[in-house]
Amino acid sequence: MIFTEAKRYYVERRVVDRMLSTRSDSFEHYFARLRADVQGEIEQFVNAFTINETYFYREEHQLVCLTSDLLAARLKVKPRGEPIRIWSVPCSTGEEPYSIAMWLLENWPHVDQYDIEIVGSDIDTDAVALARVGVYGKRALMRLPPRLVERYFVADDGASWRILDDLRQSVRFTAVNIVDRADTRSHGRFDVIFCRNVLIYFDDLARRTAAENLFENLLPGAFICLGHTESMSRVSPLFDVARFADAIVYQRPMR
Amino acid sequence: MPLIRKPPPAAAPEIAAPALDAPAVVEALARGNDDERWAAARAAADFPAAVPALGDALAHEKSPTVRQALFSALAHIATPQSVETILPFLRSDDALIRTEASDALLAMREVAWPFVPQLLKDPNASVRIQACVLARDMPSQVAASLCCDLLDSEPDPNVCAAAVEALAEIGESSALPALMRCADRFHATPFLEFSIRIAIDRVRSQVLSPRA
Repeated sequence: MIFTEAKRYYVERRVVDRMLSTRSDSFEHYFARLRADVQGEIEQFVNAFTINETYFYREEHQLVCLTSDLLAARLKVKPRGEPIRIWSVPCSTGEEPYSIAMWLLENWPHVDQYDIEIVGSDIDTDAVALARVGVYGKRALMRLPPRLVERYFVADDGASWRILDDLRQSVRFTAVNIVDRADTRSHGRFDVIFCRNVLIYFDDLARRTAAENLFENLLPGAFICLGHTESMSRVSPLFDVARFADAIVYQRPMR
Repeated sequence: MPLIRKPPPAAAPEIAAPALDAPAVVEALARGNDDERWAAARAAADFPAAVPALGDALAHEKSPTVRQALFSALAHIATPQSVETILPFLRSDDALIRTEASDALLAMREVAWPFVPQLLKDPNASVRIQACVLARDMPSQVAASLCCDLLDSEPDPNVCAAAVEALAEIGESSALPALMRCADRFHATPFLEFSIRIAIDRVRSQVLSPRA
């Protein structure tokens, strides 16, 4: 993660928050704690800086592309019986992987014919914990038609809604650092990866490393979807550009 | 209703990656198949002593995928030796390789900065252009000084254009005289004259409204 001078206030605020949380009476005291990773402070520090702005059915055109084009392309080359694996990374508090699950149930006529594994991962362990709980406020549901809220959620207390247990169990959540190749390799290979709006926060080297790690995590011919303002062509030449009616995505070459 | 009709596997099927030590990395870079060379290139990022082997591999590598990993490994190692290993590829006849070399240097820009003055004097215009791109991120007064010196003597308008672009972004008012002299020198080169005019406007606007 890199932060320019324009983000000084953002950085200072979070450092001060961590100092207060750890009862550090000086920056030096806190920094020593961070360097020694006392009581998992590095993880807490990272969690404090991750940005978790998301909602259900964000950038819906890519979900349309998933069921209109990407899955069909994958099924042409996948051996029969192999599960379809989809990775949402970073998944933040779970809106994206749950959206993928809902979208497939609502829009893919073949959803019952294949085993589909959806994995949601994030470096922010607090966000992953919340994703597993699956409770959301009104803002997260703002793009969902009422019939979908009624179908897939249970009202929790009038101000929040909980994802149905069956849907919660359809997504496996993990922690991952996409710049750490041992970490990403442990997740295996996927047919489709959604990696939206995270590479923009990295410096050149980290962005390059993440792209190479995610390349390894794709099966030959598999696809990766970035955020609508992002371009993999500027990050790495490893991927081919794949243009579909609803989205431009990136593809690991077949060979 | 669950999407997964069978219980998911207890653990995800990991991507197999052999644990390579430095000698194994060097061996695989020289004699492995595509997958082995890819794995070795990625592993080489952990071995600064592998820089010479990475350079040798780059000189012969035909796979663009493996080549990218080789450049990345050098960028990770980020030593003056890795910069020196990459520099010859800035002169490649293949534009893609030149771009990959430039990107690798940008990924370790602070280590590459000490080389910028000599690169700005390279006999190859393409190298001088890449040097201007590298200079852009240097501390602003140093970058401005280097680019202004170049503008006063550079014969190639394309190289001048790269320096002008860098100066427009740097925004140092000390660059204005050199920009104006360059515009005079290349008054018969419309695209460069236009670029310089835009750059002067940008520098002046940044001087009046400095960025935070």
